[in-house]
Amino acid sequence: MSEFLTRGWNVAIPEVDIGDDIFVVQDDNGTLRRVQVKTSTSKNRKSGYSGQFNVSVRNLRNITNIFVHYIFIVRHNNEWSKPVIIRQDDLLDHFENNKVGSEADGNITFYFSYTGNKVECSGQVVPRYTSVYDHPF
Amino acid sequence: MNAIRINVNKQMDGYSFSITPSIRDFIKKLFPNAHPANNIFVGYDTKSDFEIYAGKLENYIYPALLEVDNENDLKKLDEIQFIDIQTGNILHKVTPRDEKV
Repeated sequence: MSEFLTRGWNVAIPEVDIGDDIFVVQDDNGTLRRVQVKTSTSKNRKSGYSGQFNVSVRNLRNITNIFVHYIFIVRHNNEWSKPVIIRQDDLLDHFENNKVGSEADGNITFYFSYTGNKVECSGQVVPRYTSVYDHPF
Repeated sequence: MNAIRINVNKQMDGYSFSITPSIRDFIKKLFPNAHPANNIFVGYDTKSDFEIYAGKLENYIYPALLEVDNENDLKKLDEIQFIDIQTGNILHKVTPRDEKV
């Protein structure tokens, strides 16, 4: 949340949890973004590490006027990884058309592997952002 | 690409019609001057009022959503499917070349 605040976005936590973790509002023009943060602990691999995330299929498909931005971060060696930020419709597109992630019991599991500066999911390179500021939010 | 898929999400107060980024890219490649929208929301009351006077709403949604309103351009498109995003059911199908737009 402090990452957003330092960049001029205000942050609000919904009173009732129905899928969104935080609402982010750009103070000077009122632009609103819905954000869901997904965290995972790392597992070491031969080269790099991996993180596993679950996303509700129902929430992913619940497309409204304002898209949800999913932020995926992994705890690795007592530090948070740089975030992977994917907009809801992009993530849905990857899942439905590029066979990224696997569905079971109403959830989609995304398995991200981190090698150097590269992040991959189901064999596809996922864009990675060095900070939330870099992302065209 | 076979059919163009328009996702329909039934919300508490209306319908959200949306297309995925891959469909947007496909439309931009086919019609470089088009700027397809991410989504269009129509309230249930607006939909029912509109359909009394103008006919099926979906026939007006896809040119607006894809931002392709030239009749000759629309005829280049194959089938357009309106899919319930939660169930995967086809709610409506349109083939622009067979329709009078």
